[in-house]
Amino acid sequence: MNRLKNNSYQVGKIVAFCCNYTASVSTDTLRDADLIPENLDVRKLPCTGCIEVSALLDAFEQGAEAVFVAGCRSGECHNLSGSRRAEKRVVYTKRLLEELNIDPDRVEMFFVHRGETQPIVDAVRQMTRRILKLGQLHST
Amino acid sequence: MVEAGRSPNIEILTSARLENLDGKPGRFTAIVHQEPRFIDDDKCTACGTCTMYCPMPVVDLFNERLDITRAPHIDYAQAVPTSYYIDARACLRINYETCNLCAQTCTAQAIDFSQKPRKLNLDIGAVVLAPGFGRIDPSVLKKYGYGRFHNVVTSMEFERLTCASGPTEGHVVRLSDREPLKKIAFLQCVGSRDEICGNGYCSSVCCMYAIKEASVAKEHDPDLEVVLFFMDIRTQGKGFDAARERAEEKYGLRVIRARIPRVDQVDGRLALTWTTDDGKSCSELFDMVVLSEGLSAPKDAEAIAEIAGIELNHYGFCKTCVDSPLVASRKGVYVAGAFQGPKDIPESVTQASGVAAMVSELLSEARNTQTVTLSYPEEDKAIESEGPRIGVFVCHCGSNIAGVVDINAVRDYAGTLPDVVFCRDTLYSCSQDALKGIASKIKGNRLNRVVIAACSPRTHEPLFQETLKSIGLNPALIEMANIRDQCSWVHSQEPEAATEKAKEIVRMAVAKARLLEPLEQTTVDVSPTALVIGGGAAGMTAALCIADQGFECLLVERSDKLGGNLRRLVWTMDGGEASEVLDNLIKRVDGHPLVCVMLEAQVEDVSGYVGNFTSSIVKAGQPVVVDHGVIVIATGGREYSPTSYQYGVNKRVVTQLELEKSLASGKGILKNIKNVVMIQCVGSRGEDMRHCSRLCCTQAIKNALKLKGIKPDIRIYCLYRDMRTYGFSEDLFKEARKRGVIFIRYEPDRRPEVIERDGRIKVRVFDRLLKDEIDISACLVVLSVGITPGANDVLANVLKAPLTPEGFFLEAHVKLRPVELASEGIYVCGLAHGPKPLDESIAQAKAAAAKAAIPLAKGKAQVASIVSRVDKAACIGCGICESLCPFNAIRLFRVNKRRKAETITASCKGCGICASHCPTLAISMGGFTDEAIMAQIHAFAGERCV
Repeated sequence: MNRLKNNSYQVGKIVAFCCNYTASVSTDTLRDADLIPENLDVRKLPCTGCIEVSALLDAFEQGAEAVFVAGCRSGECHNLSGSRRAEKRVVYTKRLLEELNIDPDRVEMFFVHRGETQPIVDAVRQMTRRILKLGQLHST
Repeated sequence: MVEAGRSPNIEILTSARLENLDGKPGRFTAIVHQEPRFIDDDKCTACGTCTMYCPMPVVDLFNERLDITRAPHIDYAQAVPTSYYIDARACLRINYETCNLCAQTCTAQAIDFSQKPRKLNLDIGAVVLAPGFGRIDPSVLKKYGYGRFHNVVTSMEFERLTCASGPTEGHVVRLSDREPLKKIAFLQCVGSRDEICGNGYCSSVCCMYAIKEASVAKEHDPDLEVVLFFMDIRTQGKGFDAARERAEEKYGLRVIRARIPRVDQVDGRLALTWTTDDGKSCSELFDMVVLSEGLSAPKDAEAIAEIAGIELNHYGFCKTCVDSPLVASRKGVYVAGAFQGPKDIPESVTQASGVAAMVSELLSEARNTQTVTLSYPEEDKAIESEGPRIGVFVCHCGSNIAGVVDINAVRDYAGTLPDVVFCRDTLYSCSQDALKGIASKIKGNRLNRVVIAACSPRTHEPLFQETLKSIGLNPALIEMANIRDQCSWVHSQEPEAATEKAKEIVRMAVAKARLLEPLEQTTVDVSPTALVIGGGAAGMTAALCIADQGFECLLVERSDKLGGNLRRLVWTMDGGEASEVLDNLIKRVDGHPLVCVMLEAQVEDVSGYVGNFTSSIVKAGQPVVVDHGVIVIATGGREYSPTSYQYGVNKRVVTQLELEKSLASGKGILKNIKNVVMIQCVGSRGEDMRHCSRLCCTQAIKNALKLKGIKPDIRIYCLYRDMRTYGFSEDLFKEARKRGVIFIRYEPDRRPEVIERDGRIKVRVFDRLLKDEIDISACLVVLSVGITPGANDVLANVLKAPLTPEGFFLEAHVKLRPVELASEGIYVCGLAHGPKPLDESIAQAKAAAAKAAIPLAKGKAQVASIVSRVDKAACIGCGICESLCPFNAIRLFRVNKRRKAETITASCKGCGICASHCPTLAISMGGFTDEAIMAQIHAFAGERCV
């Protein structure tokens, strides 16, 4: 766990899709404080509800070892059902990955409390652990 | 506070609340309910044994719940009364009739469980409400993670953390793990200027205290990174801006203008996100976040209001008017301090003095009818003039000293010292019966010098001096050896060495005591007249107040009519007519038999000292000489006259006062006017004058609202640096924004420009959000010019009174003596003291009148006994002492064609500056003569040097 906390190692790229409310603290600040790894790519969307399955798959194609979506908790989404839509897309993507013989755990949906950064950091750590367990997806 | 506790004419009822108030001014009957302390404060010696033995831990509320104490405790060492009390909710004896440990261990037998709550019926003349302020509702703090995140603290908690006697002994640490901090943020306006929590007002004090707390933290740890988040920086107090700038520079405080909406925690660190005023989004992590909580109305304000029969304002504070800021809505009931509205210490102390004057006016007929004066037996000069017979009393102070120092050894050692004829140890020298014992031992053994080896003379010397006085000895014949604070407390780990040190301290004290001489205690008669210089609002208020208290008053005004700046004002801040206030004052001044007005007169020369001033006042070229006891300076200030912004060149550039005047004279000037631009801080805050003029922001908004009221579709732009609408004026600021006044902030390095082209005026200002200059076409430009001091330097020269660098009169102490000058008998109020709005001027004038009435009412001025004395034979008349004396208490006179210095004992404060600078050692200080101090030093070396 310490190893995970300090990020003193290299893991593959992780792509996170967040909305404006779930990623309030800037990635640079978190990275400077060594709270998230170098290779985390946070992509901000107006709402996670606008995410498309193709975008999730694209992320893998662009070299991501794991992808996650952090949407608002049920009842807290600014657009009422945005994060639930996102969840549906993630579930569908999991099925597609299975068909492609890729472990569906490489993509995940997280519901986080708006404006809180700790759950995002925890999500990153969870995905990192998964990558470590699952091994490399892309050959270098 | 100690002074109030010691005065025989002040009775302090603690744990008490007012239950009913009947009657009329001068004849009230109050019912007061008082909860018991369970510790007799006459017997308690504040040794702390009860706290030590009590098994019941209670949360230390004084230390903001950051520490634990026991059921019997004292909030802090200097509390008045200096006595412990028992928390009845926690005490086992009170609730279950068990334990009783404290009562058994208390050697002073001060614990008294038989005390019951009592009801007091008090016959009183007037009521002063000063319940202070309440705390912000915790639900407001919750929004910032308070209670959820350990390291989010309130400013009150932080204050305790930085306090050396606080829960962490002054170490600023993270509350989560008690580790030192690296980075800390202050969030301003928590619970103030916040519509959501209902506190729409500005708490006035938080900006400055945050700067203070940040400075203290930096002082403690220079590597600490401090960031302060402000909306507007409201440091409008006298000298506050300069202090803030110094702190920012000295400690490298980072100031960010943003309001933080919430606090987030990641891995134990606190994340803040904000948007700067140029539109950039930023986030950073901190170790601690301090919430600068505002001041709320007291929790029981409504109950107080109902019982006292007074009205509250819409925020739950006491309701008052601009022209009588200290008067509550029921006659005979007055208010002072934060209950009248959020305010800082200097202002609260000023109001407190002012309220004393109001009460004194009301009750002037009854003066001295119920006063208690202490009388003492004649001094026994015969005993005093005998050779020194020294008595040494060594105090155990419970276990405070005896727990470390071997008292018996020190006592026996004292007996071997020269001239010591008596020595004794006492359990608590300061307890009532010990004092009686000491007195009888002094009498019985014909002692004429006394050494008390105990605690600090700062806290206890007056008590022992009192004992000496009560048996006819001069109070100067006592010397204290501090073997507690300076020995047992600091050397608790080395008892043997501490005992040796205690002996040395006692030896030094005895050496000095051998040379102590009785000091003369003189009083001077006071001529019962006051001189008030300046006939503006402050001067007239002060003169009336002194006269209403029953003393003659001479009011000197330079111009041909009374009124000063108030004459130029049209509306007061609350929208009332200023002329009504003015007419009322003038009518009362003219009609008052005790006020004598001298118009077109100037004070040319003043000589003398408190109680005996002689002034020469020039009226129509003829000097008039008057004798008076005190002086009140109320010379006012002036509207700053700008040379920039096309003022004086273009007639459509006017000042706020000029705008007010033309608005009052008719709506004519508003014809064809669509756009008005107001520019704040013209001349103030570093442009021409360093200081903030305090009232211009509210004045501008007041006038903007007037304009909007007359012509709703008029467009008003206000260019400002910080809107300083402190206190309840924030409501006006909010109203102005609601009515569509546009506020644009500018930085001092990019001040707005007034440009005239083809007869049209434009104001060019840099808009921080657009990152570009914008031109606003203006039909009228209104400059919010500041306040400059009047010709204070002339009067300051005459009075030898110091001025601030800005040219205002300098008070003796900002917090404790805000209306007194360093020289006794001279007081200051109004704009002569510093820029301030009308209500504050009036409160201050009342305060000055209260202070001025003290020597007048006493009829005699007590002269401090420790004063400097000049040996005329040794004096060479160099004049160094005269030039250095901060109180004008030493003057040069010609004696047989030679210049010789002489102390004016009535003015001398005994600071000793003259004595330490005299090149021929001709000046000695009573109680601290060179010989006595040298003897003390020799005694220190005594046994080591051979």
